[in-house]
Amino acid sequence: MTGQNYAVAGDEGSQPPQMVRVWDGPTRLFHWLLVVSVAVAMLTGFLAPEWWMGTHLFAGYAIVLLLAFRLIWGVFGSEYARLINLARSTRYLGAYVRGLALLRPPHYVGHNPVGALMIFAFFGVFLGLVATGLMVQAGEEKQGPLAGIVGYAVGHAGKEVHEFLAFAALAMIAIHIAGVLVESWLQNVNLTRGMIDGRMPLPRGFRVPTPRAARPLAAGAVMLLITSLSSATLYGLSRMPPLGIPIMPENATYRSECGACHWSFHPSLLPKTSWEQLLAELDEHFGEDASLPADKKDEIARYLSAYSAESWDTEAANRFRLVSASDPMQITKTSYWVAKHRQIDTKIFQSAAVKSSSNCTACHKDADTGRFDDQKIEMPKVSRP
Amino acid sequence: MSNSRKIALISLLSLTNLAMVLPAAADPARDAILATLAEEAKKADPAFGGFSAERGQAFFAAKHTGGKPDTPSCTSCHSQDPTAAGETRAGKRIEPMAVSKNPSRFNKVEEVNKWFGRNCNSVLGRECTAVEKGDFITYLSAK
Ligand code: HEC
Ligand code: HEC
Ligand code: HEC
Repeated sequence: MTGQNYAVAGDEGSQPPQMVRVWDGPTRLFHWLLVVSVAVAMLTGFLAPEWWMGTHLFAGYAIVLLLAFRLIWGVFGSEYARLINLARSTRYLGAYVRGLALLRPPHYVGHNPVGALMIFAFFGVFLGLVATGLMVQAGEEKQGPLAGIVGYAVGHAGKEVHEFLAFAALAMIAIHIAGVLVESWLQNVNLTRGMIDGRMPLPRGFRVPTPRAARPLAAGAVMLLITSLSSATLYGLSRMPPLGIPIMPENATYRSECGACHWSFHPSLLPKTSWEQLLAELDEHFGEDASLPADKKDEIARYLSAYSAESWDTEAANRFRLVSASDPMQITKTSYWVAKHRQIDTKIFQSAAVKSSSNCTACHKDADTGRFDDQKIEMPKVSRP
Repeated sequence: MSNSRKIALISLLSLTNLAMVLPAAADPARDAILATLAEEAKKADPAFGGFSAERGQAFFAAKHTGGKPDTPSCTSCHSQDPTAAGETRAGKRIEPMAVSKNPSRFNKVEEVNKWFGRNCNSVLGRECTAVEKGDFITYLSAK
């Protein structure tokens, strides 16, 4: 009979148990590559500054590929890699938990029922993380394959779910590691080593199973088919223009007139009413007279109104639309701007390379596009005298 | 030496002479701006006797009152040394004002009027007079 993979505990003999091959090479490789990818994703997601986003995305794509591989290997892999084997194992959940409560859990070859349940939960959470991650990337950052379909609001909601799932994954990883340690201790086997050399002790009284062999050719073919189909789909999707990024013509008058004293701010960074008020008060412009002849002012007013924050669905436009009540003409007084730049040393803003907080281009290399991508943040080197 | 060669040589020499005699970067557009300012100055005060680089220098460097608190002087943004670059309050570079360093200074009426309008209001809280403007340009053209 295949799939019989547990034995009742308590009948260990004195001689060392026979070792059997349980985890095949691809499964072990998958496990450790997933560990690395998830660790990178967690570190860059929770701890690293925003400009590590590129690495975070890379880890995310690696996780998708690994999961796809594992699901396929779960059909064509060797006995204990098979999903059906895992699913069957969960049937003995009751017996296992009862044994565990008495600190004498039954022995298993392959995953124990709780471990198997955990694997399915991991699949669910990781797939959820990847899916919501793509939504955030598309909706908030206007990047990635879904940028043409997912708007800011959906992406922003996705972010909440993404964060929740990330904490759930963190908790599950902790439980998984604790489970491995407890099980290794209770049963006096090194489960971690099993995931390295693939071998586990065969409990006495356990019939040597006749495991199904892996079918690597079939697995490879399916993997190839699925990856090419999904790459083609993703490529097609990524050709769609991102939602909410209008094609904005260059306006020479705006560039030169409003770029004479500072960077010509991207029109998407303030709402229409703020631009109107600012243009109406140019003779009292932040402590200076910046007045313009009427024809130029009108031209600039038309341009700024047409491409104000309301016309964009970028994260910056969505956030900067909510201006400060006391300083509605200042991007740098919005609560979002303040929150995002709070941790930056004022010395950096005063440095020769930046000079002023309104000099967005000093740190945001894509400021002229209005996108403010995380990957395009480059802090200037501040030389200390 | 043939006659025609002689003529060519003489005209070449006189051209180089002319270039040396003229101020570093003569510009008909700038001259026209100065001429208009001189006319205005004469209209305001018939005793007007021409622009002065010394007065222009003093005006450029002086601390004025009446304007906006952050900008008491032209040198708040334009560098003390007009042959060096200055900087706006937002930190953007301003090319040198001295014509010798920046030959395209004061040769577009619109630009000149716009910036005199703004900067005089910011620094002095009023329009500059034609004499102040003419002195300013005269000083920086010689610099
Ligand atoms: C004569 C110089 C000058 C000109 C011309 C000028 N500005 Fe400004 N602007 C300033 C200064 C100075 C500040 C204050 C910036 C600072 O503190 O770094 C400012 C600040 C701003 C801010 C607020 C930035 C922030 O979030 O703190 C906006 C928006 C702005 N300007 C828009 C414009 C627009 C639009 C035009 C064209 C109609 C324009 N400016 C032309 C000098 C100028
Ligand atoms: C001294 C460098 C510096 C300057 C100047 C600066 N920023 Fe930033 N900005 C940063 C950094 C660093 C971050 C990332 C903060 C973090 O880790 O959350 C950031 C984050 C942002 C974000 C969020 C990006 C995202 O997707 O999370 C926006 C939007 C933004 N800045 C807009 C602006 C605008 C608009 C200006 C000019 C008015 C500006 N910044 C000026 C350094 C700067
Ligand atoms: C708040 C900063 C600031 C102050 C103070 C200031 N300027 Fe300027 N000025 C500028 C900027 C910015 C420009 C345009 C940049 C450029 O032309 O390189 C400019 C340009 C000019 C121009 C146009 C030059 C040209 O090539 O046509 C004139 C004239 C001028 N300023 C006169 C003055 C005078 C006179 C004062 C003092 C009463 C003064 N400025 C004070 C910032 C300032």
